[in-house]
Amino acid sequence: MTTGEYEPFRPSVPSELAPASRPSAPPPPAISVRHLWHRYGTLDVLRDVSFDVAPGEIFGFIGPNGAGKTTTIRAMATLLEPTAGSVHIDGHDASLDPDEVRRIIGYMPDHAGVYERITVREFLEFFADAYRIPELGVVDAVIELTDLTKLSDRLVATLSKGMKQRLQIARTLLHDPKVLVLDEPASDLDPRARIEVRDLLLELRELGKTIFLSSHILTELSDVCTSVGILERGELVVAGPIGEIAERLALQRSSSARPAPVAPPVADGAPGTTDVPVGASGAAAPVVTPGGAPIPEATRKRLKLRVLGDSQAILPMLQGGSGVLGVEAGPGGLIVLYYVGGDQYVAEVVRYLVTSGVGLVSVEPERNELERIFLEVTKGDLS
Amino acid sequence: MSAQTGVASIPPPPASVRGLARARMGFSRLLADPNPVWMRELKAAARLQRTPVVLAVTTGMMTLLVCSVGGIASIDAEPAKVGVWLYHTFFSLAFALVAWMGPAMAATGIAAERSGGTWEALELTGLGAAAIARGKFLGALTYVTMYLVMLAPVGALPFLFGGVTALEVVLAFVVLGGIAVLSVTFGLAMSSKFSSPALAILVTLLVSIPASIAAYAGLGVGLSFAANSLWHGVAAGPPVWLPTAYARADFGIEYLTLLVLVPAVLVVLPAWLFHEITVANMAAPSDDRSTRLRVWTLVAGPFMTVTCVASGVALNDPSWFIAGEMGLVMTYLFVGFLFAGEPLAPSRRVEARWERERAGAGKRFLGPGVMRACTLLLLLVLGSFAALLAAAALTLRTPSDRDGVLALGGYAAAFLVFVAGFAAWTRARSRSNGVPRVLLLGVLFLAFVGPWIAMAIAGIFESSERALLVAAPSPLYAFHLRKVIASGTSDAEVAVLAGSVAAVSWAVIGLGLFALASGRVEQRVAEERALRAGLEAPSGSSA
Repeated sequence: MTTGEYEPFRPSVPSELAPASRPSAPPPPAISVRHLWHRYGTLDVLRDVSFDVAPGEIFGFIGPNGAGKTTTIRAMATLLEPTAGSVHIDGHDASLDPDEVRRIIGYMPDHAGVYERITVREFLEFFADAYRIPELGVVDAVIELTDLTKLSDRLVATLSKGMKQRLQIARTLLHDPKVLVLDEPASDLDPRARIEVRDLLLELRELGKTIFLSSHILTELSDVCTSVGILERGELVVAGPIGEIAERLALQRSSSARPAPVAPPVADGAPGTTDVPVGASGAAAPVVTPGGAPIPEATRKRLKLRVLGDSQAILPMLQGGSGVLGVEAGPGGLIVLYYVGGDQYVAEVVRYLVTSGVGLVSVEPERNELERIFLEVTKGDLS
Repeated sequence: MSAQTGVASIPPPPASVRGLARARMGFSRLLADPNPVWMRELKAAARLQRTPVVLAVTTGMMTLLVCSVGGIASIDAEPAKVGVWLYHTFFSLAFALVAWMGPAMAATGIAAERSGGTWEALELTGLGAAAIARGKFLGALTYVTMYLVMLAPVGALPFLFGGVTALEVVLAFVVLGGIAVLSVTFGLAMSSKFSSPALAILVTLLVSIPASIAAYAGLGVGLSFAANSLWHGVAAGPPVWLPTAYARADFGIEYLTLLVLVPAVLVVLPAWLFHEITVANMAAPSDDRSTRLRVWTLVAGPFMTVTCVASGVALNDPSWFIAGEMGLVMTYLFVGFLFAGEPLAPSRRVEARWERERAGAGKRFLGPGVMRACTLLLLLVLGSFAALLAAAALTLRTPSDRDGVLALGGYAAAFLVFVAGFAAWTRARSRSNGVPRVLLLGVLFLAFVGPWIAMAIAGIFESSERALLVAAPSPLYAFHLRKVIASGTSDAEVAVLAGSVAAVSWAVIGLGLFALASGRVEQRVAEERALRAGLEAPSGSSA
């Protein structure tokens, strides 16, 4: 393959930027929080918090320590009656109908404890009895689902932290809840245990569970969450799907930003492209569209590709393509692509390279989108 | 199906099954589908390696102690006396074991769930605070019973020596069982208030050790003399007199009243109260923590009244009426203390539940709300004292005895009206439920002691009889009043006038505070509703 034999890269419009095809009647939210306020004495720990979580979503609730995450979660779990506002789980009011909500949710508190002097199976059998579950097979099914079969006869005291956390998740699943509410599920866990918990959450989502989890570790959430809500000083600063939030922020910034200087066009001047100087630093310098509108930092993404052979030879295939902000080559077949778009865009890039005969070894989208959103919408103070 | 036992559950009996058959089915259900918390407690206890060691050491030490006492006693005493000594020694030690170990064992129960981070998971299972409390109670009681069973052979030794019958030994174990129930429920009630097991054990022991010593000395040694004067077969002095009284006393109205009714009241009512306190403390603040305690009050008040009336009438003695009055005063002071911490009004959650259940006025009256609670206290105080004083008026023939009992009871009832009003008023003005209780204790202390201090100062300037009038606002003045009435001296009229003015003043102040509290509660509830409505409005802002 030579560099002159390729068709220029012209992907379709990213799906995120296309008009969304909306269903006529969206399903009612699994979790609906409306105007939630809570006061301890004269201190407002929650201030008019409102958000929805759609069924089947993994919703990440982010905020620094003391932001009010646990207070919100305790109100959702029927453990706290808020000063004002309401929480509805699957249509049931958590304050007014706690018994029904408790049947629907599986709640794992932050730093939840376990009974140490019984076995894993006895632990789950106890909770199965406490939930008044009529079938004995449920305990076996949950043990299998959470991969605790080999440990079922071990004393809980002898389990590692990760396994205890897994046991806690197993406990929350016993009564087959529609909604899982997990407060800091991966706190204090080692990397392996975190990965195991993450994989388990993804598996549970596949089973149709709606999962609401809180954390202040962004990478932990960015791997699994479909939507997020960011809480700061008791106020919800933003909530929704990660991509949508990024777009919204981009629009906000572009509408408020002053016009930036227009960058010179690239040599082959493909229409609709922007100039991206490629350098060793990897920084994507140009931040404007051909029309002069700035491209918000929040919408610029980075994709790491690894190809067989010389990566320098591949660069012209990508440079100047729609949505491409810049490309740089690295050692060992590494290519770093700066672009604007979503998952659909990445898929188009991959398809284009493969159909062009490029030996693609790996594709690694960047994962720091959530971090960028968090830093942009929060002020960083707690008081 | 119980996953822990693997036994198929028995469905609840249909409504058509009643009486003994229903109770039998309920017991079968309990065996087939036991309390899950109890089962887990047993499994965990069985794995505790120190349990058999502690049991063996305790039994060994007790055996050595009883044998040593027996050995020393048998040097110059006949076997029957040795048997009696061993009987009192063993059951005194067993009493200490149960009265100290029972609360300590139970005190860890709920506090350990809180400190171990398992409480919320347990709470959300829907098992309910009452079922969890029952499981914890059964777990701790089983543990204490294990000790009693291990000690049973040692307890049977006195019977072999003579002086006590096998029935008396068995009865002593039954009494010990009653004390164990009381001890464990007390420990759980304390545990339900704490988040740290260590602190729960410490506070529980700090209360239970002095209380058990006082009970041993007062109800054991002290009451044995009273029992001896009634039934000569019961020895005066030895502490373990109650089991022997059951076997030796003549059956009659006194037996039924003093050996059945009074002990039942002393065990069942406190044990039930402790259980209800445990359940209330375990429930969430927005749940209904009041109704069960209110039902206890509604039953305990009349039951206490009946017991006091029955013992007074049966013995036809003013002392028993006065003891009854004191019992009622103590009970209602405690109830006043309890109600001072009531919520102002039912929470939204409770109101929603009432709406769903279409709760009637009776159920709502027994629900959360300080005004409802204090109204109930007022009604019970007036009803109980009216019944007791009527019984005294009809039973006691000597005018001075009768008037003394009436004066004491009248003053006590008037002061309790004040307590109900003050509890309602302080709660209506306070944002927390702890402050009104502290204030009530402070006011009680001042009311009881303050006038006597004033009297002591006044005594410097006045004659002692006139100075005593200064103490009339103290409820303790009622005892002086009774003494003056009994003596029939010329000062009686003035003393009665002073006492009456003080009692009426207490009642009027109480009713005034009650009326003020009612208005204040309404105002605060309206303010809270307005605040919530404001915050929940789409443009809600902090008020």
